[in-house]
Amino acid sequence: MATTPAPPPVTDKPLIEPSPTPYADPPPSPVGASARRLDGLEKVTGEALYAADFFPREADLFATILRSHEAHAEVLSIDTAPAMKVAGVVGVYTHVDVPGTNRQGLIKRDHPVLVEDRVRYKGDALAVVVATSESAAHAGRDAIRVRYRPLPVVGSIDDALAPKAPKLFPNGNVMGGKRIRKGDADRALAEADVVVSETFQTQTVDHAFLDVEAGIARWDGRTLVIHASGQWVHEERRLIALALGLPIEQVRVIQPATGGAFGGREDLGMQVHVGLAALKHPGKTIALRYDRAESMRARHKRHALRIHYTLGARGDGTLTAAKVTVFSDEGAYASTGPAVIRKASSHATGPYRVPNVHVDVYGVYTNNNPTGAMRGFGACQLAVAYEGMIDRLARKLGMDRVELRRRNLVRSGDAVTTGQVIPLATGVECLDAVMDRFRNGGRPLEPLPPYRRRGWGVSTICFGLGYGDGFPDASRAGVRFTRDGFLEVLTGAVEYGQGLLNMVAQIAAAELGMPIEKARVIWADTGRTLESGSSSATRQTYFTGNAVKRAASELKEEILDIAGTHLHVHPHEIVLRDGLAVTRFGEPRSVPIAELVADGFNRGYELSVKALYKPATLCENFETGQSPRAFITYLFVSHLAQVVVDVETGQVTVERYIACHDVGKAINPQSVDGQITGGVAQGIGMALMEEVVMREGRMANANFTDYILPTFRDVPPVETIILENQDPGGPFGARGVGEPPLIAAVPAVLNAIHDALGVAPHTTPCNPQRVWELLHPEQAEPPADIRFRTAPPHARP
Amino acid sequence: MLYQPQILEEALTLKADLGGDVDALAGGTDLLVALSRGQWRPKNVLDLSRVVERSEIRKADSRFSLAHGVTHAQLTRLPVRALAEAALSIGGPQIRNRGTLAGNLGTASPAGDGCVALLALHAEMELTRAGRGSRRLPVRDFFLDYRRTELRPEELITRVVVPADWTSAWHKIGKRGSVNISVVCAAVARSPQGRFGVAFGSVGPYPLTAPKTEALLNAAALTPELIDEAAAMAQTEVSPISDHRASAAYRRAMCGTLLRRLLTEHFLNGRD
Repeated sequence: MATTPAPPPVTDKPLIEPSPTPYADPPPSPVGASARRLDGLEKVTGEALYAADFFPREADLFATILRSHEAHAEVLSIDTAPAMKVAGVVGVYTHVDVPGTNRQGLIKRDHPVLVEDRVRYKGDALAVVVATSESAAHAGRDAIRVRYRPLPVVGSIDDALAPKAPKLFPNGNVMGGKRIRKGDADRALAEADVVVSETFQTQTVDHAFLDVEAGIARWDGRTLVIHASGQWVHEERRLIALALGLPIEQVRVIQPATGGAFGGREDLGMQVHVGLAALKHPGKTIALRYDRAESMRARHKRHALRIHYTLGARGDGTLTAAKVTVFSDEGAYASTGPAVIRKASSHATGPYRVPNVHVDVYGVYTNNNPTGAMRGFGACQLAVAYEGMIDRLARKLGMDRVELRRRNLVRSGDAVTTGQVIPLATGVECLDAVMDRFRNGGRPLEPLPPYRRRGWGVSTICFGLGYGDGFPDASRAGVRFTRDGFLEVLTGAVEYGQGLLNMVAQIAAAELGMPIEKARVIWADTGRTLESGSSSATRQTYFTGNAVKRAASELKEEILDIAGTHLHVHPHEIVLRDGLAVTRFGEPRSVPIAELVADGFNRGYELSVKALYKPATLCENFETGQSPRAFITYLFVSHLAQVVVDVETGQVTVERYIACHDVGKAINPQSVDGQITGGVAQGIGMALMEEVVMREGRMANANFTDYILPTFRDVPPVETIILENQDPGGPFGARGVGEPPLIAAVPAVLNAIHDALGVAPHTTPCNPQRVWELLHPEQAEPPADIRFRTAPPHARP
Repeated sequence: MLYQPQILEEALTLKADLGGDVDALAGGTDLLVALSRGQWRPKNVLDLSRVVERSEIRKADSRFSLAHGVTHAQLTRLPVRALAEAALSIGGPQIRNRGTLAGNLGTASPAGDGCVALLALHAEMELTRAGRGSRRLPVRDFFLDYRRTELRPEELITRVVVPADWTSAWHKIGKRGSVNISVVCAAVARSPQGRFGVAFGSVGPYPLTAPKTEALLNAAALTPELIDEAAAMAQTEVSPISDHRASAAYRRAMCGTLLRRLLTEHFLNGRD
């Protein structure tokens, strides 16, 4: 008897199950998420290895550097014999032992690794001592006898430009210059209704990063491997190879975890010296580290600039002309000086429309510490000047400071001082945003005693990112999948705390629809990664971000192709999200990307893509400083500081701080916020307290007792406003953050002091004595710093 | 050799026996900096930070008696305003937890914040030498010249005695909001009988008192006019230098400014 089959049980379950819907709400993209830092856990737990952590466990031998006792002298002889007699010393090396060019320097190769015949600052390196312990190396260093013939010390810009000044280099003491000629500034100033003039003097600043210079090196007869913290490992490799006479491929530079840079690692520090020691002791790992004092005395500094500024306007506040002359103390060697003076000239009038501009910037050699890259170089000092001038002009015109800015800020389609048209200018938007927050927020103000006065100041700046001016500027990156299902980004760019690892990982993850937890970054190792340019000039988000996005985008095509065969739809109908390839139309169906990756490898796909991002900028005309595209893009920023000034003691307290940045797109908003807050703290330091004091060519305050950095008590909570007007060329519309937080902070604080006192500051830092001297100019003493002793007195009219 | 006695008697005996051959280390906040800079190469070190009675604070006869190891952190809770505020202005929390008042006196830095408060308060100190007992002297007699004091190589500072019933006030100018070295600091104190003490830091080779200014204030009732006079007088009693921290002119002017402010805000209108 045939049995009828039982009918299927009746359930609510449909016969055909739809594929699981992985996203009721679309998962947030890794771009725009404050994802946890990839290097966060290892850094807060102390697992991360900084260069100094290699001491002493990995070292066979220790090296140290003998530095010049004189600021300017002929070196007659270096007697190393007494050092060789010191117990534990195994080698002492001078310039005769350097096999290569013995020269370093990012732009001009003018800085001897070990001095041959003439020292130019108290910090010039004369010899490298290698010993079995660090203390023996130090004892050996102190035993070396150097005979000098002292030469007259060029202590200041005025000394350097004096008619009979000793020549520091064969071509004289002027390192170089840069100019802008637009319209007829002299005539426009003569015809202006109102003219304001001022001379500004900015100070020398130290980077004061936490992680002082240190490194290890080893030469195995084939490759010289150096672990040390820089900002551009591939250029460092090239410079080390040149200086030591090695083929580039025999040098490998690997960046350890790094605690801050701020431009202070752009010049080579001890890399060539430790490399030299390694070449002389094959098979041994050599370690070399500075202490804080050596770090401060040897390293380059921020340029001190003297800026003569004249600004003219019509009676209605429309700016008509600017005439600017700048002298920059380059110190003993050029370092990045040529780029700094270029940045100073191209940012001389900031974000304002000025039809007639006449700018001359000169870099002048002295016997002070070399000056070089530091966050916002050139642009930051000029912002002190142009923003100070706008407030002076507003007072003279009896006009509102904000209104005067709004009237003159470049709008989209206007040109900045180099003639470059800005397609998307958002300075006004930034300014309006900070003013709106200022006027519609904040705690009630505490009443002040009569000797305390409150004031607020605002600044608006623009900043051209990247090297600019036709200088080759490019980044290369690799993006690949690994067999264990990870997404790997390879970049030569350096992470020194700014958040680069997350930036590249989040961009790659967003492009490939992977969770950030599945992303890894291999970075800054010349043996494993491609050249990505320096982590400087606010450029890595834009440049390496774009290179990563390009590579990831191409890799995505491969994944989509594989996904198409799994999901039986055209690849265009698939999106990658949250680790899944998902069909775009109809009932969503998905397949994990990990499966596609495994399948891809089985099919013989490499799943590894490299990309180059290399946009062009155009040189500024040598005579006029004009260029249709001096910089790849511009950032706009506005800051507001509210201060309380003690008019009897000159002490300044920053009470409230608002910062608005148009970053295009915040890849990681928390990192953006952190960069802004940190830059503001650094700017408050420069505005109010930080100052390198030189005495007879020696830094007198090479310690943290007397080099005064801001503490938590000096920096109020920074109210950040992030605007996201997407940049057409940036990855996901991002521009970057980098330097502008510091650049805008200094003038905002100075303008607040101006508002509180009614007297405008012209010299940084505005420490208590300087503020008091503004109010009591008759009591002003020449600064303790001898470099400025012959500077024209800042007599007020 | 490192000595770490737990009993004061033992410390005193070691100091008396070794004299100048042993350096006394209290909190180490000055000496360890000197050590790491290579400016201090001690033969023997007498570490006082393990002596059991070191942190004792006693009150008797309207005086606080502070043992040699009382830290700045402890002083911030002492109801003696100038001393408490001076202590709070020193370094950061870690430094205040380590650094001691006796160490501040022994270092005798011109910028010694605790010393300035003690001078204004007419405090006394006890110097002890094993076998010879203690001698008591006013803190005002302790400083002789730049980093030179009455302390003999065989002695230790064993106690500081501070009046508990004086009114006092303190002000310090530094270049930032905390962890400051004084550019100028000032302390003013007044006994219940109306006797004033005025002292300044960082305006001479050692922490200074202003005896002529004090005499002026002791001689008449406090009025705004007298305060102006005292402020002008104080500026003639200090001898600041110009260095990388500030100019002499600024420091001199600030002595007057701070004195005027302290007298006006804390003494003129019976505040405090």
